Amino acid sequence: MFKKIMFATSATPACDHAARVAFNMAKRYSAHIDVFHVLGVPTRGFSQVVLDVKTKEKVVLDDEYQAWVKEEVRTYYTNQLRDVSSAEIHVVIGVPHREILRHIRNAEPDLIVMGGSTGQDEESVYKQSMTGSTLQRVAKASPAPILVVSRPAASFWGEISNVVFGTDFSKSSDAAFKFALKVAKETDGELHLFHALDISALHMGRMLTQDEIESKIRDARQLMRGRYVPQMEGFKKFAVEVWEGLPYIEIVKYAREKQADLIVLAHHSQKRDEKDARLGSNVEQVILRASCPVISINR
Amino acid sequence: MKKKILVIDDDPKIVEYLVALFEDNGYQTRSAGTAQEALDIAKKMLPDLITLDLEMPGEWGPRFYRKMSQDPELKNTPVIVISGLSGNEYAVGKAVASITKPFDKDELLKIVKDNIR
Repeated sequence: MFKKIMFATSATPACDHAARVAFNMAKRYSAHIDVFHVLGVPTRGFSQVVLDVKTKEKVVLDDEYQAWVKEEVRTYYTNQLRDVSSAEIHVVIGVPHREILRHIRNAEPDLIVMGGSTGQDEESVYKQSMTGSTLQRVAKASPAPILVVSRPAASFWGEISNVVFGTDFSKSSDAAFKFALKVAKETDGELHLFHALDISALHMGRMLTQDEIESKIRDARQLMRGRYVPQMEGFKKFAVEVWEGLPYIEIVKYAREKQADLIVLAHHSQKRDEKDARLGSNVEQVILRASCPVISINR
Repeated sequence: MKKKILVIDDDPKIVEYLVALFEDNGYQTRSAGTAQEALDIAKKMLPDLITLDLEMPGEWGPRFYRKMSQDPELKNTPVIVISGLSGNEYAVGKAVASITKPFDKDELLKIVKDNIR
């Protein structure tokens, strides 16, 4: 299913959970894995002096230093690299999200695996390099799906066979649906189509009656059936469900209830122009809370 | 009547050890080396408790658990995850316990005794 996986990593414990998923998936699907590490951020444009992401010190860059960092990354992932059939380590200098996107364009991976954040390290060189996280910026522009792992619970347990697709009926949700369906078909798995009726947004200053909520749930279920089921083309192992509540909480609860091993979401909400889109707040919250990996789809 | 335990693990040495341990302590056992075999046996045997390895050839433990929990006769059977994988406590959210290999036999027996139906 996945033949070329790119694992973008800070090579620190903050990415350990993501590393486990990336390497286990590469092993399971006999995929090539590119371990991609941005070693330092230039202190100024085209400067040979960079801020090392680990030591946070200014270092003068040369081939020897770059080779040493590459070896460090190789050592950090020694055990995992032993388990995969094909791997390459890439160490580059630059602004992280730009370098990751550049590599995505050049190498054309079919999946990018990233950690949820650089952890609690407020001094992170990655964070200092640009307002907003690397993940936000990669998710915004990546043509390939991004799988994000931020908790040890969100691990990969041998296979993907039970996919929850969360929709807000946006255009990018349509793209996410196509990806979720492809995964479910290729793995002979199950696909759960889910929409969370956002009760907080519906309030509009007044309490909805239960009849109103249930009417909206029926409408949403009909909308999902009309929009997605015709695209299934004979795929039978699916379910359609609508719950009411806070969307990110309901998605996490539903995925837990269904023992999902993957959640697929569009990367931003329908309310934003694509050029301004950040990772949607619901997606962010699902990534932080889900007990399985989350894939964000951009297009 | 003896309580029944289904041991699911692809490592014959682990299976042999667990079967001996449980039988020495008064339980009746069956074992399976794959998820599919385990499901077939479980449907016939209706065990009172299952010990489940995670990493197995073909389908892994979590997929077995998902299938098992769709069967009305099996869905409430207590499951103990026994695995060498770190973080195994997250693999099967509804497992009654998760134990990392190598494990302490007395601890395992206590968990079995406390949870068996």
